[in-house]
Formats: sequence, structure tokens, C-alpha cells
Amino acid sequence: MNKKHGAGDLTRRSVLLGTGVVATTAGCNLIGGSDPEPTSSGSGTGGSGVELTLALVPDPPGASEFYRAQMDLFEEANSGITVNVIENPADQQLNALELMFQQGEAPDVFRCQGTPALTRFAERGWTAPLDDLVTDEFTARFAEGSLAPASSGLHYDGHLMSVPLVWGDWGPTALWMYNADILAEYGFDAPPATWSEMEEMARAITEEGNGQVFGLHPDRLDLMMYGSAPYGTLPNLDLTTGSPHLADDTLVELVEMFRRLQSEGVIIPGWEVDGASPAFSDFAAGRFAMYPSATWHVAEARKLAPDMNLKLAPIPVPDSGRRAYSPRSAAFQPIWSMSSESAHPEESLLLMDFLASIDFYRAYYEEFGSFTASQIAWEDQARENPDQAGILDVSAETLRTVPNPQLLAEGAEDFWAAITGDPELRAIDVAKDAVINDVDFRPLAEGIDQRVEELLVDAEADVPNIRDLLTFEDYDPLADWTRSQ
Amino acid sequence: MTAAPAQRTPSWRRRRRRAVLWGWLFLTPLVVLFTAFSLWPIVASWWYSFFAWDGVGPPEVWVGLGNFAEALQASSFWNAFWNSFVFSLGALLVEFPLALCFALLLNSVLLRGRNLYRLALFLPVVATTAVIGLVLAIMLAPVGGVVNEALLTLGIVDRPINFLGDPDIALPTLVGIDIWKGFGITLIYWLAAIQTVPKDLYEAARLDGAGARQQLVNVTLPVVMPIAVVIFLLTFQRSLNTFELVQAVTGGGPVFATDVLPTYIYRYAFDAEMAAPRYGFACAVGVLFGLFTLIITLMQSPALAGRLRRSAS
Repeated sequence: MNKKHGAGDLTRRSVLLGTGVVATTAGCNLIGGSDPEPTSSGSGTGGSGVELTLALVPDPPGASEFYRAQMDLFEEANSGITVNVIENPADQQLNALELMFQQGEAPDVFRCQGTPALTRFAERGWTAPLDDLVTDEFTARFAEGSLAPASSGLHYDGHLMSVPLVWGDWGPTALWMYNADILAEYGFDAPPATWSEMEEMARAITEEGNGQVFGLHPDRLDLMMYGSAPYGTLPNLDLTTGSPHLADDTLVELVEMFRRLQSEGVIIPGWEVDGASPAFSDFAAGRFAMYPSATWHVAEARKLAPDMNLKLAPIPVPDSGRRAYSPRSAAFQPIWSMSSESAHPEESLLLMDFLASIDFYRAYYEEFGSFTASQIAWEDQARENPDQAGILDVSAETLRTVPNPQLLAEGAEDFWAAITGDPELRAIDVAKDAVINDVDFRPLAEGIDQRVEELLVDAEADVPNIRDLLTFEDYDPLADWTRSQ
Repeated sequence: MTAAPAQRTPSWRRRRRRAVLWGWLFLTPLVVLFTAFSLWPIVASWWYSFFAWDGVGPPEVWVGLGNFAEALQASSFWNAFWNSFVFSLGALLVEFPLALCFALLLNSVLLRGRNLYRLALFLPVVATTAVIGLVLAIMLAPVGGVVNEALLTLGIVDRPINFLGDPDIALPTLVGIDIWKGFGITLIYWLAAIQTVPKDLYEAARLDGAGARQQLVNVTLPVVMPIAVVIFLLTFQRSLNTFELVQAVTGGGPVFATDVLPTYIYRYAFDAEMAAPRYGFACAVGVLFGLFTLIITLMQSPALAGRLRRSAS
């Protein structure tokens, strides 16, 4: 018995010993093993080399290779600096960045896209001021006056906190993209200029298309909504009165028209969910004739169908006439920020300067066809490309500067956080609800108005003049707004 | 009778104590990992649910039961809750019994190539959900999708079915895909259960003149019933937590027609379009989800226990 028991003990000891050896070995590897690609900016490398971390979103397709190639060029031009690229999916980038900051492993340079995100990161002290970048040469890269702190969209608390990637008008420009061959096939020689023309053409094409070709896809209905009333940055608030006004008559008319077209089967089915087939893909396949589109769809559709007779026009306006233009609420959309926790601020600033360089902007434009923040880098070339010239023409015709309460209404930050932080207040979702579920839009819009009004009342407790802050009486939705107005 | 007291000598106690210590030692990794990655997040989410917190820094703005009240008063929460429940109903009413039928069929030695069929039915389980979602979205597209093309060509429908874009059809479509995706694992559970039935019971039943149906009713089902309860609960839990499929195929759309509680929670905690995530609120919804799941599970327990007792008797 004793011998047997002893043997048992020996086996356990052996197991424990083996486990201990494995654990110790693993521990040694973890502690002393070399990490060939350190990802933390804070760790540094010692010696002569400096390693920077760049956290980005690899979009559009092919961006991974593009950024790596660009970082190689940066490293060549700045010997001793190595850039490690961390890629995150677009919808996880901000969360990933927050985790990195909280764990003390913040990247040196990171993509922090959009005013709300920049504000969120700047408020926490995570972004470093980039004022040292601003020289005459740097300013000259961008359109005149576009780096003014009050309207650049890149500033926080008076300091430059971000550098842009794309042209400021790239995002807000709303295009009417159409296949001129399909229109011609069904007897139309020009795109619709008004809503009723749009409805008539869509009906005719769908009716004769026999289930193979449809007249319309409402991909960016939100862009049409923005331009239908004096909304500005959010279609929940009338900036001329500072009051909630989603139940605006013109907007109701627009949504009800789409509701009608949807219920009667005029709109191509399948648009209701963001599934596997984006609008530009079906458009390139010739499955529908026309749609309100974002600028980046143009290059994507052209890639898929190089010979398509793709044309661009301004988005149709109400029959009663235009009430507003597409809103330009800032000169740029913020993209690249630098970490305030970077262990290598000088080198990081060099990288920021590179990301805002004419060469980088030109390379990005040539690779993806997107207009970058410095017009010098692409404007001449764009004028020679019919698609890109079309975007420039539509943009010039349909875009106007609007007051931006997110930048101008100091004290209303909590209200904006509340209104943008509630997914149930998204105007586009309410409109889609009416269109897809075939229900009256006005009561839904009035419900949203009531909830925004409640938020305003709540905000008044802390900021009594909040309605004044959100009201821009001198704002004419048919003209460019400037502060001096 | 005399041996037992003799065993409880100091040396026996030492050996026993050492055996217990060894047991705890081997349990330690599991306890540590379970505490760190399961227990702690659960307990922390209870705590966070009482705060208005965006996930950065310590939670400081105490809102008490405010997040819970907000969720319970939101129609969108109940919409997501109902949709989650529909996924479970589909799994319990369709997948659970259907997998048993297939398991009985595939357990038959008379069926040739049964391993091949098992493999075919199990493949969707190991396939990546996002890929399945993408492929099915393309196949089910109303214009140009192969399924609708086939239905139209065969004259089964006269206009394409908007499987994923019609709010009335999208949820049943996703439930169907979810059943197909999870069917293999339930099938394997059932196969494992059926194979625990001792062969001699069947031989005895045959000697008593029992036919195939009587063997199923009087031998197979009573023996597998205790395991069936576990399979039932596992199927219920799996279906209630459907997330990847919905997120990949519809993202909860169209207009939240397929929104389930996991996508609802995800939207509030991680939606890139939100200016600041509402982790506190998302945690509150997660706690409510857990509580409701517990309640529904407990509601099933008496019925299942009763059935278990009946089968045992």
C-alpha cells in the first residue's frame, strides 16, 4: 500500500514539476522574451531608434497596403524612426483607442474621426495641441482661411487638435448619381430637377423595367433630408429658431413621397438593410437608374463599371423651390490626432506633418480617387476627370456654409452629447421607419420633436440661455453663413 | 464496521487533506480564470449599471435605478426583448424536436453514409457566422439573388421576396438561418444522448415484442430524458444570445425589426456613431437581460422537472 501510495505521490509531483517547468519557461518568455514589434509608444526602444505607433482604420479597400507603403516612405525620409501600424475596424476604432489610453498604451498618432469624437478625446486631455505645426508653409497647403479656429472643425479650445484627410466638402456634398443610358432607354434625356420629376421618372422606369430595372434607390435619403430645411448639423433642430422641427412640412412631404414610392414597389427592394450589396454595387450592375449618393460612391461605381454612362447632378429640390442647401458645418472633418501621452512628441509631430503633406494627400487621391484636404494636390487632375469634375461642380452649386452649434454654442455641449448620444433620436431612422413600415411620418417626427424639446428643457436648468445659443437669427439657409452676418 | 474507524487515523486524515489540497490546486487555474473573465465582469456590470458612465475613468455619476427605469420604459427595449424571445421560440419549437428526429435517423445503422450526413449537418456550426451572413445576404437579395431567381424561374412566386428588407419577413428569415446554423450542435447533443441508451434494453424490448415506435416511446425517450432537459436549456441559452448573425446580416434592421437584446446592448455600448457610449445604460440592459433569462429558465424548470419525474417513474 505504502509503495503504491508513494508512487501516486511521485506522479503528482512529476505533474506539478512539469507544470512548474512549463509555467516558468512561459513566464520567462513573457518577461524576458523579446517582442519583435512593440506596439506601445510609451515603451520606447532605447538606443538610437524611435518607434511610433499609428492606429488607423484600413478603409477604403486597399488602405492597409497604401498606409504601409506611405509609412515606409516616411521612415526613409526620417531615419531612425519606425512606424508600427495598428488597424481597427471602423466601428471599433474609438473603443479600441479608449482601451489603449486606459491601459497606458496609447498610440502616438491615431485616427479620431469627426467632431464628436475629437471633442470626446480632447475633453479627456488625450489629444496634444498641434500648434507647433502651424507655419505659413503649413497653412498654405489648405484653402485660405480654412484653418480658422472657429470654423476649421479641427480645433478644440482654440488649439489645433487634428489634421484632416479629405477635402472639407467631400462628406457633406450630396450628389444625384444617375445612369444616363438607362434614363435614355426609358425616354428621359436629363436627370430630375424637382421631386415630382423624380417621382414621375422613377415610376416610369420601374414600371417598364419589369422587375429587372428600377427607377430609384434611396441610399442617402438623409442627405436629401438635410437639404430640405434649415437644419445645419442635425436635422432635429431649426437653426433659425433654435427649436426642434423635424415635423417640418417640406421634410414631411419628402418622406411621404418616399413612403408612397416604397409602398407601391417603385423603389428597388433590398435597400432597407445595409447588407452585402451596397447601393453603388447594384447601380454599377444596372439594376436601378438613379439615387442620392455620397461622393465616395462615384469612384466605387466607376471601378465596377468603367464604361457605364455615369452622370452627376444636384439632388432634386421641392417643387415649390429650394429651401436650403446641403450644409457645410466646418471647413474640415477631423481625422488624425496626436496623443498627449506620446513618449516621442517631436517624432510624432513629424508624422502628423507627413500625414498633412502635399505628397501624402496626392498619393491618397491618386490611389483612391478621394479629394484630399489639400486642393493643391489634386484639383488640376480632378478637373480633367469627368466624374471628379462633376463632383466639384455639384459641390459648388449645392453646398453652403451653415452655423455649427457644436463649434459655436459654448455651454451647449451636454445638450449635444444628449441629442447625438441617443440612437432613438436619429432622424434618418425615423424617416426609414415611416417609409419601410408604411406609417405616417408626421406623428413620428412630432414625437422626436417632443423628446428634443424635453432635452432642451432639461438643459435650460444648467444653461438658461441655451435656446439663444442654438439660434442663429441671421442665418439665411439660401446663402453662405458667416459670423459677421 | 470495524474498518471505518480504523481508517480515520491521523495518517488517513493527512492523506485526505492532501488529496483535497491537490484538488484545489488543479481547480485554481479554472477558478482564477472564471473569476477574472466571467464572475468579475458580471459583478462589475451590476455595479456599473447604477451609473451614467461612458466607460472612461471610474464611474462617478450615480443614477440609481435610472438606467433600469429608462430601459423598461423604452419600447425599443421591449421590441429587442421580444425578438430575442422569438429566436428562442424558433429554436425550442423547431430546432430542438427536429434535431431529435434527425438524430434518431442518423443513429440508425441501416442508414448508409450517415457520417457524411452528420458532417454536412454539422458544417454550418463551424462555419464563420459573418461569412455565412454575407453569403446568405447575397443569395437572398430580392434583385439578382439566386434564391429569388430560382423561385421566380420555377413560378413559385410572381415577384421577388424581400427576405431581409421586409420587416415582416426579416425576423423569420433570420430565425430560420439561426436554426440552420445551430442545428448541428443540437443534433450532436441528441446523438450523444441516444447513444447512452444501453443496447440490452432494446434487445429486451424486442424480446417482449416491442416495435420501433414502442422502443422509441418506452426505451429511448425515457432514458434520454434527463439529458434532454440539459439539451433543452442549452438550446434555449444559445438561441437567446444570438448576436453575430443579426449583426452581420441585418445589423438589427430594417428599422429594428430584427433587433435583439445583444445588438441593442452593443449599439448603446459601442456604436461608433454615438458621441459618447452609454456603458452604464448598456450594463443595465445586460443585467435585465440576464434576469429575464434566469426567470424564463426558472419558469421552465418545474415543467421540465415534472416531465423528468414522470419519465423516471
